[in-house]
Amino acid sequence: MGDTADDRGTRRRLKAAWFHILLALADGAQHGYAIRRSVKERTDGVVKLYPATLYGSIRDLSDQGLIEALEGEDDPDDDQRRRYYRLTPAGRDALADEVGRLQEILDQARATRALGGA
Amino acid sequence: MSVASRIGVGAYTLLLRLMPGGWRSTYGRESIADLREILRDSERLRGETVVGTTLRACLDLLVCLPGAWWAVLRPETAARGRDAPWGRPGLGERMTNVWRELKLAGRTLARRPGFSAVAVLTLALGIGANVAIFSIVNAVLLQPLTYDDSEGIVEFRHHAPGLDLPELSNSPGMLAFYREYADFYDAIGAWNSSSHNLAGAEEAARVRVTRGEPSLYEILRVQPFMGRPFNEADATEDGAHVAILAYDAWRSRFGGDPGVLGRTVEIDGRSREIVGVMPDGFAFPDEEVELYLPLWVDPDGPFGSFGMSALARLGDGATVASAQSRSTELLPRVLDYFDSLEPQFLEASGFAVSVETLRDRTVADVESTLWIILGTVAFVLLIACANVANLFLVRAESRQKEMAVRAAMGAGRRSVAASFLSESLLLGVAGGAFGVLFASASVDWLLALAELPRAAEVRVGAPSLALAALLSVVAGLSFGAIPMTRYVGTRFAAVLRDGGRANTSGRERHRIRNLLVASQLALGLVLLVGAGLMLRSFAELRSVDLGIEPEGVLTMGLNRNAGEDPEVAVRFYAEAAERVAALPGVRTVGITGQVPLASGSANGGSFYIESKPRQEGELPPIALYRPVGPGYFESLGIPLLAGRPMESLDWEEARRVVWVNQDFADSYFDGDALGERVAWGLETDENDQPLPDAPWAEIVGVVGDVREFGLADEDLRPNAYFPLLVDGPVNLDLRSASLTIRMQDGQDPTALIPAARQAVRELSPDVPITATRTMEEIVSEAMEGTAVTMMVLAVATAMALFLGAIGLAGVISYVVGQRTREIGVRVALGARSADVSRMILRQSMAVTAAGTLLGLFGAFALTRLMEAILYEVSATDPLTFVTAPVVLVAVSFVASWLPVRRASRVDPMEALRAE
Repeated sequence: MGDTADDRGTRRRLKAAWFHILLALADGAQHGYAIRRSVKERTDGVVKLYPATLYGSIRDLSDQGLIEALEGEDDPDDDQRRRYYRLTPAGRDALADEVGRLQEILDQARATRALGGA
Repeated sequence: MSVASRIGVGAYTLLLRLMPGGWRSTYGRESIADLREILRDSERLRGETVVGTTLRACLDLLVCLPGAWWAVLRPETAARGRDAPWGRPGLGERMTNVWRELKLAGRTLARRPGFSAVAVLTLALGIGANVAIFSIVNAVLLQPLTYDDSEGIVEFRHHAPGLDLPELSNSPGMLAFYREYADFYDAIGAWNSSSHNLAGAEEAARVRVTRGEPSLYEILRVQPFMGRPFNEADATEDGAHVAILAYDAWRSRFGGDPGVLGRTVEIDGRSREIVGVMPDGFAFPDEEVELYLPLWVDPDGPFGSFGMSALARLGDGATVASAQSRSTELLPRVLDYFDSLEPQFLEASGFAVSVETLRDRTVADVESTLWIILGTVAFVLLIACANVANLFLVRAESRQKEMAVRAAMGAGRRSVAASFLSESLLLGVAGGAFGVLFASASVDWLLALAELPRAAEVRVGAPSLALAALLSVVAGLSFGAIPMTRYVGTRFAAVLRDGGRANTSGRERHRIRNLLVASQLALGLVLLVGAGLMLRSFAELRSVDLGIEPEGVLTMGLNRNAGEDPEVAVRFYAEAAERVAALPGVRTVGITGQVPLASGSANGGSFYIESKPRQEGELPPIALYRPVGPGYFESLGIPLLAGRPMESLDWEEARRVVWVNQDFADSYFDGDALGERVAWGLETDENDQPLPDAPWAEIVGVVGDVREFGLADEDLRPNAYFPLLVDGPVNLDLRSASLTIRMQDGQDPTALIPAARQAVRELSPDVPITATRTMEEIVSEAMEGTAVTMMVLAVATAMALFLGAIGLAGVISYVVGQRTREIGVRVALGARSADVSRMILRQSMAVTAAGTLLGLFGAFALTRLMEAILYEVSATDPLTFVTAPVVLVAVSFVASWLPVRRASRVDPMEALRAE
């Protein structure tokens, strides 16, 4: 599935929950609750991922091959049951694409007169 | 973790079962572990409630449900999705499938309008009742009060059970004491509320007024929307000259005049300048208040004059529990703070303080009742769902062949399941939609039934709609799932082969139906017991001896301005009484300071007995007193047990005489009170003994006991009655009085109202008349809470019994239908119709017996929760627990009668020919 991002994905919008989860995993593997916490912090409490949405998205993202579960990496301080998830190369690409797409929109928006553009 | 969190996790775990098995086994444990963390955070953080977070998490799960199921039920689309990138592959196609399934389900249901209508109506009733009651519970109990950061506001009060004073508010001395020592409070604000005459607005009126220290308004964090708040300079000893209007009063009494600031109004004859208008929606303590005044509390005030309420705002880090325990720790210091207190005072009086949140105090009276009513309607919904599930099972039987054909044509089990689920979902959603309509129509009616705190905040809003959606989906899925479980495992080939008759799953399906009906009957029995207990409470309340004869009595409140010469006021009341007494149909007219049962307030306090000087350290005797005029006892039917009746000369000459009730005589004089002399509020020497020339009042009569404070007020209290004007032994408040007018036998008291008002108006047009009510109205209002609870429970029980009976009748009919052939054979072999009846009846009674047993256990466990609202009836009242099952069995018997008769008339030839 290495080709996912390249051939047709560049203009396709990533679901908001997916984007936040990928972003949260960009700095390293995390478990579900840690993902929720970092998304909540990053968005100042605006985006709260409740379990069904969170794990529904994790399942979809795993199906798409954008993230994968790490088996057997237990944090000694943490609940044994928690699984850690990390980005796959395809996930990293997808995230970069989405950031690029958002950047483009931002650039266009900044260029409009309302926001002080030319 | 708190109990609420535990319940939340439990509910979520249950809901998770709705998710596809694969999803659950992969992510279920993580989801629950996460929810635990989330709820733990909610408990710590301000601004998030456990209930709110749980609801959001549950809602989130329900929203994700369709997606999760469709991913499983449509494996081909899900598989195709793997090839596509991360977008939403095949979504359009999936939506088409859902749409097609729903259209198909709609058409199927439309073909059976009777079945669909019954199912939708049953669900609408169940869901509607729950949504309506939940809307009320949510607004009254779950939402924080409308004051800013209201969780930090507490009310504290005192108790002195040793003085026969279970409720003691606050005194100026105690407030000063807390201001000195209670560093866990940021601010303390005293208040009281009373009614006053208002002039200078569009018309003269009697209005409710809240007087609060300036700090009170700071604790409530309210700023006038126009004008300025009160400041310390407003609260002065001689009473301030400013007032703030409530928003509604500004609209109604001043026509919303924007120039109202600076205008002058007269309150009890004293001019006050309006300096502000409170914002829309602000009310303290309730919506009836029209005017706010500043209150001055003497910082050097005495310990003893309790009578004002007090709020406080918790300081940083303080909680209600810590404020309670630290206040209790502080109490012993009052002995040092007040020189007048005897060292043994604390122990002898049982003096104690209680700190509660303002929210708890506001809703304390209705909390348990509301939860019980919500529980009751939840039961009704369960019964309704069981009924619809039963309908579905019956219908599923008749559709076995259709399903088998669909399976033979290549429809997968999933598609059969999907078609069942979409039908039940559609019914559930339709039931929910009608339920919401039903709820919004009935909420106002429910609110009109009973006076609830915070009633103005009740509306069928987003949380109620969310609940309706949740109930519809859960109800729809659950009763759709029951027949589905039977189908997904059925071997369809067998069904086709033997024509859907004697397959093995029939017996098991029976068991499910019997179980459903038995649990319906069990739930019905629990409600029946609850209603029975309320009925018994109500009967007990009705049979309480009030000590008065309320029939044929009209009461009418008259109000004079505060500070008026008492003699002028009394002459006015007496003149009014005389004029009303002259009206046709009137027998006697009495005058009283307070009408029994009508007001919670009373004057009273410690008093002195001439023949029993106080010993040092001894607690003083305490009694209530009130002013009454001649004719009072006679007009209310209070018997004179000893001594002489009251006469006009008693007050005209201001004689020092007093009447006491039986309880007073028994408590302090062993029943023989005549000739004894007593007095309240005497000046005393340094040994706390009355001066030699003390103005004693002689007891000249003993009258019957009266339940002054309501039917459920368990204790009688010592009570003294003074003539309207008396010189010395007591201070009487005569700002307002009520006429108690007894009609001649057979005359309707309400018919007198216009003439009586007219008579008073002729005497003085400016005196506001309040609360013209019959004594019977006052008595029934005192029973209102119990009556309303009983009525709601009775209606719910009737609904439950009706649904249960229909369920049972349906099951028995179905059994008879199924066994027609067998019955035919039995009859052909010589069974008589009585044998057949007995056989069928036995089956129906077996189900009933199971339900009864189950219900009795349930009732035994659940009616304990009702203890707080029962009156003089035990939660395990034997009479109720025997009668209720008898009623249930009788109803079941009637419900089975028709199908049993049909069975007994089976014609063997007909039955066998049908084969």
